[in-house]
Formats: sequence, C-alpha cells, structure tokens
Amino acid sequence: MASNAEIKEQFAEREYNAGFVTDIDSDTFPPGLNEDVIRAISAKKDEPQWLLDWRLEAYRHWLTMSEPTWAAVDFKSTDYNAISYYSAPKSKKDGPESLDDVDPKLLETYEKLGIPLREQAFLAGVQNIAVDAVFDSVSVATTFKGKLKDAGVIFMPISEAVQEYPELVKQYLGSVVPQGDNFFAALNSAVFTDGSFVFIPKGVRCPMELSTYFRINAMNTGQFERTLIIAEEGAYVSYLEGCTAPMRDENQLHAAVVELVALDDAQIKYATVQNWYPGDENGVGGIYNFVTKRGECRGKRSKISWTQVETGSAITWKYPSCVLKGDDSVGEFYSVAVTTNCQQADTGTKMIHIGKNTTSTIISKGISAGRASQSYRGLVRIGKDAEGARNYTQCDSLLLGDKCGAHTFPYVEVKNPTAKLEHEATTSKIGEDQLFYCQQRGLSEEDAVNMIVNGFCKDVFDVLPMEFAVEANRLMEVSLEGSVG
Amino acid sequence: MNVATQRQHAKTLFAQAGLPTKRNEHWKYTDVSHLSDMAQTQSTAQTIQTPTTTLGIQNLDAYVLVFNNGAFVEALSSLPQGVDITSVASLLAEENHKLTDLFTLSGEEPLFNGFLALNAANAADGAAICIKANTKLDKPLYIKHISNQNITLRHGIYFEAFAEAEIIEHYLGVDDNAGLSNVSTNFILGTGAQCKHYRLQQEGSKQSHIGRVEVKQYQDSNYQMHAVELGGALTRADIVVNLAEQGASCSLNGLYVLAGRQHVDHHTRIDHTAPHCTSHENYRTVLDGRSHGVFNGKVVVHEGAIKTDSAQSNGNLLLSKHAQIDTKPELEIYNDDVKCAHGATVGQLDDKQLFYLRSRGISEESAQELLTFAFADAVLASMRNEVVRRYVEQAAFAKLPHGEELEELLA
Repeated sequence: MASNAEIKEQFAEREYNAGFVTDIDSDTFPPGLNEDVIRAISAKKDEPQWLLDWRLEAYRHWLTMSEPTWAAVDFKSTDYNAISYYSAPKSKKDGPESLDDVDPKLLETYEKLGIPLREQAFLAGVQNIAVDAVFDSVSVATTFKGKLKDAGVIFMPISEAVQEYPELVKQYLGSVVPQGDNFFAALNSAVFTDGSFVFIPKGVRCPMELSTYFRINAMNTGQFERTLIIAEEGAYVSYLEGCTAPMRDENQLHAAVVELVALDDAQIKYATVQNWYPGDENGVGGIYNFVTKRGECRGKRSKISWTQVETGSAITWKYPSCVLKGDDSVGEFYSVAVTTNCQQADTGTKMIHIGKNTTSTIISKGISAGRASQSYRGLVRIGKDAEGARNYTQCDSLLLGDKCGAHTFPYVEVKNPTAKLEHEATTSKIGEDQLFYCQQRGLSEEDAVNMIVNGFCKDVFDVLPMEFAVEANRLMEVSLEGSVG
Repeated sequence: MNVATQRQHAKTLFAQAGLPTKRNEHWKYTDVSHLSDMAQTQSTAQTIQTPTTTLGIQNLDAYVLVFNNGAFVEALSSLPQGVDITSVASLLAEENHKLTDLFTLSGEEPLFNGFLALNAANAADGAAICIKANTKLDKPLYIKHISNQNITLRHGIYFEAFAEAEIIEHYLGVDDNAGLSNVSTNFILGTGAQCKHYRLQQEGSKQSHIGRVEVKQYQDSNYQMHAVELGGALTRADIVVNLAEQGASCSLNGLYVLAGRQHVDHHTRIDHTAPHCTSHENYRTVLDGRSHGVFNGKVVVHEGAIKTDSAQSNGNLLLSKHAQIDTKPELEIYNDDVKCAHGATVGQLDDKQLFYLRSRGISEESAQELLTFAFADAVLASMRNEVVRRYVEQAAFAKLPHGEELEELLA
C-alpha cells in the first residue's frame, strides 16, 4: 500500500501553474505613500474633486489606525512605504477602444490563463460570459459591453464609471464598507486604482455571467481594487472573480474592497476562485490577501450569496459578510479553503441579522495540509428586532499531515428569543475506513483521496456557477497532481 | 519556595496585569468595571450569625467543610480519614510543603487575569486537601461556603495515585448584601485518580462571583465536573483543564438557569497535550427575564496529542424577549489524527412539541415548564449523586415561574 504520508506530501507539493511573468512596459509609481501619491493616482484617473477628498479623508483616518493582530496568522508586517501604489501597462493614452488596440502581450497573458478576452463562446456551447480584466492597477479590457448596455446593465471599470455615472458611484461608494471600516479598507479607500462597477437596473435579469479577472504582474506593487455591485429592485446578477500572480520571493499585498447592495427582491451571487501565488514550500514569497467583502441586503426579500474557493495566497484574511437589513432577506456563504505548505488562512463570514425573518446559511470546508494553518472565524449576530431569524452553520475541517493546524472561532450573539440557530463543526483526517472501502473496490489510494476530498467539498462546489465548478475541480486536482500513476 | 513568596509574586503579577476590561477578548461580553473596588478591598471577616446548618443540601451523608464568610469553621465541619486537610493559613507558615504546588502562579496560565492574581495574592484561607494514594472516600466531601461580603478563597485538592473522591463545592448567600467572591479551586489528579466535582453557585442576589477551576490530569485519571449556576448577580467562571498524560479523560457539564438581570459567563478551556485523551463537554443555558448568558468553550489539541477524541455541545434556550446569549465554541487543532466536533444551538421552545403536550390536556404553562425542564435535565441526568441532583432540580424549579406545578406533574 502506497503510504498515506506520500500522498499527503504530494498533496502538499502541488504546483502553481499561473506563476509566469509578463514582460511588458509599465508605468509604475515609485514606492511610497503620502498625500501626493494619492493626488497623483487621482489625477491619473482624472477624478472629480469629491473623490479625491474622499480618498484623502480615508488616508488621514488610516494614519491613525494600526495593523490588526487578532487573526491567527503569523507574518512579517508590510512596509507600506516600500511598495508602489500604481502600476499600469503603457498603452495608448485614451485607453483601448477595441481589443485590437490592446497590447498583444496582455492578450497572450490572459489566454495563457485561460481567460477569453475575445468575445467568444466560453467552453463552447455554454452561456457567454462578460469579462473585465484588471492588470495590476488598471482595467485593460472589458468584453460584451455593448450587449450588456442593450440590456440596461452597466459593467465597466470603476474608474470609467466615475466619469460616466458619477452620481451612482457617489451614492453607493463606501455605503457598505465605510472608509474607516478597518485598517486595510481604509488603505484601499485611499489608494484604490481600479476594479469593476456593476449596476443592474430595476427588474433586469443580467443576461450573462459577469466576471472580473485580477492579475498582479509588476514587482513591488500592491493591488488595491474596488468592486461595487448594485442590484436594484428585482434585479439579478451572477458575478465571478478570479485572481493569479507571478511567482516571486517577496510578499506582495492585495487589499481589495468589495461592496454589494441588493434592494427589494434583488439577488446577487458572488463567486471567487482565489488562486494568488501561495509562496514556495518553505513559505517564501506569496501574496498577502487582506480583503474586505461585504454585502448589504437593503431591500425586502433580497438575497446575497458568497461562494469562494480559496487555494492561493501566502496569507488570507477575508470575511465576506452579509448585513441582512431587509425583512425576509437571505444571506449565504459557501467556502472551500485549501492551505498547503506554509500557507495561512484566517477566513469566515459575518451574518448580521437586523430585519425580520432573515435567514442565513454558512457552509465552510477547510482542508489543511503540510505545515499550513487555517482558521474559520465567523460571527452570527441576531439583533433585538430580528424576529424569526434563522441561521445554520456548518464548518468542517479535513487535516492531512501531523504538522498542519485547523481552528474554529465562531461567535454567536443572540438578542432575540425567536431566533433559531444551529452551529456544527467537526475536524478529522480522512478516515482509514473510507480509504479502505474505496481501495478494496479497486481505486488507487490517490484516486480514493481525491474522491474523498471532492466529496468533502461537494456542498460548496454544487453552488458554484458551472464554469467555475470546472475550474475549482481542476484546481483541486492540480493539488493532487503527481500522485496519479 | 513557600506560599508567602508565591503570594508576593502574585502581587507583582497583579500590578502588571490589572483587572480585565471589555477590550480584552476573553472579557468582551462581561463588564466587570464596577467590581474593581470590591476586588481590591479585603473585608474583615464578619461571621454570619444565621443558623448555617439549615442552608445547603440537607440529608446529604457527607464529610463537611464549612467556610463562613471566607473563614473555616471547624466546629461545623467533619473530616474524613485518609485525607489531610490543612488550612491555607497554616500552609503560609510552612516551607516546601508538597501542596505548595497548588498555589503557584506563573502568569502564563490559560485565561490568566487580574482576578486570579488577586486571588493568589490575597486568599485569606481555603482548604489544602490531599487524598492519599489508593484511598476511596466512602462519602462525598461537601465544601459549603456561606458569604455576604468580599471574600477571597483558594482551595487546592491533590489526588494521589488511584485516589477517588466526590467533591461538592457549594456557594450560598444569605441576604442582599453586595459583595464579591473571588474563589479558585485547583485540582491535581495523579495516575488513575478519579474525581467527581459538583460546583453549585447560589450566591445572594447582589453578590458577584469570580471563580476558577484549574485541573491538571496525569495518566488515566478521570475528572467529571457538574457546574450549576443559579444565583448571584454577576458570575464569571474559568474552567481550565490540562490533559497532561496519556489516557486522561474529562467531562464538563454546565447548566445556567437565569432570570432577572443575572449575568453568567463561563469560559472553559481544555488542553489536550498528550495522546489518547478524551474530553466531553455539555453546556446548557435557560435564560429568562433580562438575563445574559455567555459561554466560551475552547479545546486546544497540541502537536503530538494523537488519537484525541473531543466533543462539545452547547444548547441555549431563550425564554424571554430580553434575554441574551453570546456563545463561542472554539477548536484549535495542531494535529491530524484527531476526532473533534462541536455544536451549538440557540432557540426557543418548539411550537410542535408545545402543541403535542397541549393536545393531551396539559396547560400551556405546564407544557412550557415541562419542555424547559427536559431541556435542562439533559445536563442534570449525568449527575450520579441523587441527593445533589434532586436538590439542584428543586432549586432550578423554584426559579421558573410555575415551578410548583411542575413538581406535581413530575411527582
């Protein structure tokens, strides 16, 4: 029998396929952060005065804050003056009019990553998908803009939205995650460079999946993108996000903010496949992924659902949350997090029940291998007036190897007796009996492990959009690559 | 080292730590700012004159130790054979007593805080008990505390190899005086020792209670705790168990029955530091009025603690619109060969169950009482001592609005 330890080792030694660097001329700010840098970013984007003031306010607030230390992660703190806050591929001044104007090297990059920037069928025969590609600090291309516009959907880089729909941006920016929300959100508010803006007007069902693909390329930079999604009454949108970065020995910072707003009867599905470079087997290099994601169900019967597959990043620090303000609103969180080698992840969600009869579901699956450490940190809060609120939480951890760790820190705060909450958590390794069962039916040990891991994650993969379910499955397989044959 | 040096050391630790505030993660839900003065004031022991024999559990055949406002009352106590009981006061005088270990404090203990330092520094008295190897106590040891002012007590109970005993720790109040009980009980369980520990808290309505139970378990020892929280205004208890050697096992059972503006906070922490250890935890809370319950249960499985089996369950029943519960069952695991699970629920009584009982002719109030009782009884059922269990059931009934009816119903 191939030893279990071997499989674990192979699992831990998965390869990172997106680690190449694109050699492209870029326009990068020198490292450092001060008000002049913020003014320069704002000037680059030709932003209105109110936005500059908003950024400066955030920056001044940020100066008074200190980096949080409560997460169960261990890392060398970032020197915020040693990174550059803006890097963009040099291109024609007015930005690409069509794909033909986009630097072929960029197109090649995205092709290599399997992201279709040409408006072609994604996975032949399957529904089309609109992509906004963000390269370092700027959005380089957005596909299907025209088709979406016909449907009334606005999908564009946030920097363009600031120019074209300043009122909408002004109304919603920072309304879910205020500038001073936390250390990284404040930093992001001050220096955010690009990201996607989505607006689905009343009664519109977005005709295709929207997707943003984030790529860090330049050295010594941080990526600070900001995504804002608004679904008006009765609107529906499904949004996907993917991320990769080159393999480097230094740690790069990614501090994003995502804000979702759902009005009456609106529904937003937000899925992430996060595959930032995780660092090598000794924990050198990798991305620090410090992200603030929050959705607000403002309207009655609105629904926000977060799905995430976290396989990358040296350190992940991320809590996609739902504020359930509207009566009968629904929040969901489905997560699979895989940490191997020296990766550390502290992730989870917050469900804040404010409205009546609000429901939330949390399914979190963690897989920890090698010397990795992983924590689920969640909060379910039932406010005084949240009559009939309901929550179900399940967080399971699977451990592969005797050096890894898995922790659970669920906070439950209830101030209303009509609430009904259930929380369950288990931690174990792959059962010897399960392995034995599969093997005696002729499966090799690695296939058996693969199958069991997939089964463990099934609850979450099932709710992923089809395209991403394929990618997620592939990512899991990459994790196990090398153990077959 | 002698006890006096230990106390001096504890004073230094307190000076460094101060009292916890709500900014401290472990004290987030429990505000103790109003206890600061009481914590640092030593009342001169005033003996309570009320006839203390009628208080507490009656018809209990047990060895008794009575502490009246923190002072040991020998006349009311009866001591067993095969057990050494020394008062802390007399330990102070002695050098290198083996029980000194029970009084050390490093400041590195899990859930260490200013109250604990004050406790070690100021404890006026307490029982230092040693149960000799292979001794099995024929009757429980009932430690009865009656207090209505600020008291600081520190007990240490040492079980030598294969010793067995049942310890009933009971905190009783007599009137509405406001005071603070700062009490701690340390256990060391030698190889194969077995300890059943009942910890009943029924202090006066204005009394605050800061307690700590610390247990260190050696090979194959077994520790069972039943904590029942009924009285007091504000109660905080830290239960810290270290499964230090192979084969040790523990089970922690807790029940809060709260009403009015009562506040109870239990933080439990179980460290699995050795292989093949088992821990079980079952906490239930019944909250009425404007009461506030807090539960934090943490299980840490250290590297190398293989074949750990740990299960934790926490159920919370809210009976009133203004009651509040904050619960946090935590797992910290550094090892793959483990089986750990925890579960927590919050809810009110099930409408369907109420309907079932009512359709069988039981009044709505009685049906509610019955279901509430059944919920709480899941914890009480594990109490092996019938007399204690009966006493707790009655005391808990008395706190529910239609307790007498229920008594009849179940009689």
